[in-house]
Amino acid sequence: MIEKERIPMEEQPGPRSKEELDANKMPFEEYCRKVFDPGNEFEKPAALSGVRWMSCTMYIFTPHAVSNLAELGAEVVKIEMPRMGDPMKHTSPFNECYYYPLHDERPMTGQGIGCVNANVNEYFITMDYHREEMKEPFYRLVRMSDGLTECYRPGTFDRWKQSYRYLMEINPRFIYVWGGGFGYGPKVFGGSYDILGQSHAGLASITGFHEDFGGHPVKHTNWCIDWYSGTMITVGVLAALYWRRKTGLGTMIEFSQVQCATRCCGYGVPLYGRFGIVRQRWGNWDTQLCVHGIIICGKSDYPDAKNPQLRDEARYVMVSAFNDPDFKELCNIIKRPDLYEKYQKHKDRVEAEAQVEIYDALEKWAADKSRSEVVKILTDAGLLAMPVYNDMEVYESPHYRMRGTVRWQFDPIFGDQLVHSTYSCGLMSKTPRRKFWDFRPVGADNVKIYHEMLGYPISTIKEWYDKRLI
Amino acid sequence: MAKEVEIRSREDTFKLTSCDERPWPVTPPPSEEEVMKVYAKRKAEEFGKWCEDNLRFEYAWSKPEALQGVRVLEVGLWRLSHMFAASLLAELGAEVIKVEPPEGDPLRKLTPFGREEYMLEDQYTGEKCGLEFIHEMRNKYSITLNLETEEGRELYKKLAKTVDIIFEGYPPGWTDEMGIGYRQLSEINPRLIYVWIGQVGQWGPWKDRVSKFGQWMLEPFGQCACSFVHNTGYPPDLMPRGKGGDPTRSGVWLADYVAGEQAAVNALAALYWRDEVSGEGQFIEVTAAEAMMDILDFDITWYGFNASIKARTGSWDPNLNQYAWNPCKDGYMMIGGQTDRLWYRICMCIERDFPQFGRLITEDPLLKEMAARNALEALVKTYTLTSRWLRDINRIEAEQKLLEYDIAAGPLLYIDETCEFPHFKYRPWIYTIEDEHYGTILYATPPNAFQMRTPARVKWLGRPLGKDNEEIFMKRLGIDQIKLRELKEKGVV
Repeated sequence: MIEKERIPMEEQPGPRSKEELDANKMPFEEYCRKVFDPGNEFEKPAALSGVRWMSCTMYIFTPHAVSNLAELGAEVVKIEMPRMGDPMKHTSPFNECYYYPLHDERPMTGQGIGCVNANVNEYFITMDYHREEMKEPFYRLVRMSDGLTECYRPGTFDRWKQSYRYLMEINPRFIYVWGGGFGYGPKVFGGSYDILGQSHAGLASITGFHEDFGGHPVKHTNWCIDWYSGTMITVGVLAALYWRRKTGLGTMIEFSQVQCATRCCGYGVPLYGRFGIVRQRWGNWDTQLCVHGIIICGKSDYPDAKNPQLRDEARYVMVSAFNDPDFKELCNIIKRPDLYEKYQKHKDRVEAEAQVEIYDALEKWAADKSRSEVVKILTDAGLLAMPVYNDMEVYESPHYRMRGTVRWQFDPIFGDQLVHSTYSCGLMSKTPRRKFWDFRPVGADNVKIYHEMLGYPISTIKEWYDKRLI
Repeated sequence: MAKEVEIRSREDTFKLTSCDERPWPVTPPPSEEEVMKVYAKRKAEEFGKWCEDNLRFEYAWSKPEALQGVRVLEVGLWRLSHMFAASLLAELGAEVIKVEPPEGDPLRKLTPFGREEYMLEDQYTGEKCGLEFIHEMRNKYSITLNLETEEGRELYKKLAKTVDIIFEGYPPGWTDEMGIGYRQLSEINPRLIYVWIGQVGQWGPWKDRVSKFGQWMLEPFGQCACSFVHNTGYPPDLMPRGKGGDPTRSGVWLADYVAGEQAAVNALAALYWRDEVSGEGQFIEVTAAEAMMDILDFDITWYGFNASIKARTGSWDPNLNQYAWNPCKDGYMMIGGQTDRLWYRICMCIERDFPQFGRLITEDPLLKEMAARNALEALVKTYTLTSRWLRDINRIEAEQKLLEYDIAAGPLLYIDETCEFPHFKYRPWIYTIEDEHYGTILYATPPNAFQMRTPARVKWLGRPLGKDNEEIFMKRLGIDQIKLRELKEKGVV
C-alpha cells in the first residue's frame, strides 16, 4: 500500500478521464467501432508522413510495394514513360471498362480499370530515363527522397547510371529496392509476371482439383502473387527504415517475386525435403482438416436471375466441422450418424478416402437444398458455414460497409469510384490508412514536381515536353 | 543407380523417403563461372559481380539484423496469419515469443491426411510436430502460459509490459473478456502496438464466429467471404462441374498469409510512428477476408462500374493477352507478354514452328491493338492456336524456344521440380537447415534475405513446446526455476 502511494497519480494504472472510463465500460464491439472510427480517417495523423519515395515501377507487383507506403502517409512520386504511362493503364477485363482520359495528347484513349489500387495517393510524373538531359532531374529527386523502388531488368538502371552503386554515393541514406522475377543467378534476365510466380514456384501445382478428379492446376484469380509479394517488399522497406533511424545508412534490397510464392506453400517444401513426397492438389477440401471444405448445393439462391453468375453459381457453401463434437452434430444433421461411428477420430476422417466419402454424403444431403438453406440449417445448429460470396454480395455486405472497407469515393477526374482496397488492409486506431485518389493521368503532376519541388522553370518543363523528354 | 524396390504397403515406402536415401539437391546448382557467362551475355558482368558480392544469401550471417531489439509476442491458435506476421519480423531480427497454452497450439498436431509419418520427431523427447507448424516457427521462442487461469493472465500482463508488438489471433473479444485485451494492456503499456488478426472481423455483422462446441473459423473462410473463391477456377463450359469447373479455393491458406504480411506492415508503420513521432502505441485489426479483398485487383470496383460480377476464367486472364498457362506435351507451359513488343516476339517464336500462327494471329487486325486483344473471342483464338503449338512439345523445349526471344515464359512446376530448379538452388530459395531437435529440414528461404545491409535469415526452424520457459520467465519476469516448477504443478505453465 505504502509503495503504491509513491507512484504519482498520473502514472497509476486506470482510466485518466471520464471519456476513458466510459470507453472501458463499453461493450467490446462498440469500443472497436469507436476507436477505429471508419469514415473519419482524415482526422488522424498518418504513420509515415514525411517519408518520400520514388516509384520507378510498372504493372502491379512493385507499384503495390510503394502504394502501401503511400496509403500509410508517405509522399510518393511515380515516374512513367512519357505519353504511354504504365502498361497497366491499357489493361481492362475483356477490354470492357475504361476511365477517361489517359493523357491530353490522346484524349480518346481511356485508362483501363486494371491499374486500380496499385498506385494510390501518388504524384504522377513522366520521364524518359534514356535521355542524358533527364539525369540531373533524376538525381535531384534522389537527393530529396528516402528511397526508390524499380522493376527494370537487372543491369538496366546500372547502365543508365542510376543503380544503387551510383545513388549511394549521392545519398547514403537512400534505400534502394529492385523488385523483379529472379535476381542474380542463372535466370537473372528472365522476365516475370504474377502468373509466372504462381506456376514456377509450385503454388499452381497445389491449387485446383486433382488429376484423378479430372482437374487442372488453377490460376489464383487476379494477380494475387504480385500483390502479395509487393506487400512483402513493404515489410522489408519498413524494417530498413527502422534500422536507418539508428545508423543513418540506407541499403539495397533485391527482391524476387517468384520466390514469394514458394514461401507460402506451407508444408510443401519441407515435406518434399524430408520424405520425397510431392504435395498435390486437393480441390476445395483441406489436406489437414476434415470436414473443412466447399460443397455444392442443388439449388441456386437466385434461380430466376438473368446473370448466370447468380443463377448458376450461387450454390457453393463453405462447411467446417472438424472437431469431434462438431463433426458428430454434422453427421446427425445430414442423417448419417454411421459416418461419425466410422470416423470418430479426426486422424481417420482426414484420410483421403474418408474425405471422398464424407463430402459425397454432404453433397447428396445438399442436393435438394439451396445455398442459403444449407447455411441456415448448419448455422442454426451452431455449426460453422458460409456461402461462397460473389462480388455483388461483397458489395452489398453490411459488414464491409460498416467497417468502411467497401465504400464509394468521388474522384474529381474519374468520377465516382467503388473502393475495396486501402482501408481493407487493416484498421488502425491512431494512424489509419487513407486514400486521396486511386491514380492520376499520365504526367498530371509534372509541374508540381519538376517546378515546385525541383525548381525547374516552367519554360524548361515546356521545352522538355516538346522534346518528349517528359 | 536405379534400385530394385518392392512396395506392398505404405509402410514399405517409409524407409525410402529418408533424406539419406534421397539427398537434396539431386544435381548440384550451377557454378558461379556458369552464371558469370549469363551476365556476360548482356554485358552486365561487372554489375552481376557487384550484386553477388553485396547481396549474396550466404553473407546474411555476417550482417546485422534490422529489427534487433524489437520485442514481439505472438499469441493465438490454429491459424497461420498471426504466425506469418510474427515470422516476417522474426526473420528480420525481432525477438519473438510464441505464447502457447500448456497443451500447445493445435496446429502442431496437423499433418496432411492425418499421416503421422510425415510429422517430425523431436530427437530428445520423441514428440511429433506437423510440418506446417515447423515451417512457420521461424526464429521464435516457445513458452507456455495458461491464459484461462488468473495467475497465467497476471504473468501474461507482466510480459505484455515488456514488449513492443503483440500479434493476437483469438476469437473476437475473448482476450478483452479475460482482461488481457488491448483495452487493458494499453493502460499498463501505452507504447504497446496491439494487432488482432482474424478471418472476417472482431466486430460487425459478419464477425468471426465460434461454433456451439467451440470450434474456430479458419481459412478458407476468409477466401470465401471476399469473393476470391467465387472468382477462381475454371468455368463450367471449360470443365464439368464437380470435376474442376467450380469456384476453387487456393491450395494453401493464402488469405492467412496475406493478412499476416499486412499485419506486419501495419505494425512496423505503427512502430515507426511511435518511435519517430508520438511515443504512443495503438490498436490494429487485420482480417483475412479484407486483406485478400484489397488485392482482388478491381473486382468489386468493376461491380460498381457496370454491375459486372466477375466470372471464372480458369488459368486465362481477362486483362492480358497473352498471359496464361496452357497444356503442353508433358504438363503446362506459362507464356506471358502483353505489350506489342512482347506480343509480336511470342508470335515470331511460334511462327517458326507453326507458320499458320502468323497468318491467323499476327495478321488479324483485331489482335493488332493491345487493349482489343483482351476481348473474350480474342483470348479463345489466341490460346487455341498457342495450345496447338504447345501440344507437340515439352515444357523445356517451349521454354528454351521462348527464352530465345526474351519472353517471360516458364514451365508450371511441381514442388519437387521447383526444389530442383537451377535458379532456386543457386540463390538459394530452397535451403536446408540442421535443426537441433528435428534434424535436417528443407525450407523456403525468406524473400527479404537478399539485402546489402540487413538481410532476413532463418536461424532456427521449429521449436519444441515450452522449450524457452526457463530462459524467458527468468529474463523477462524474474521467475526462477523453483517458482516455475510450482507454476507448472498448478497448471499455469
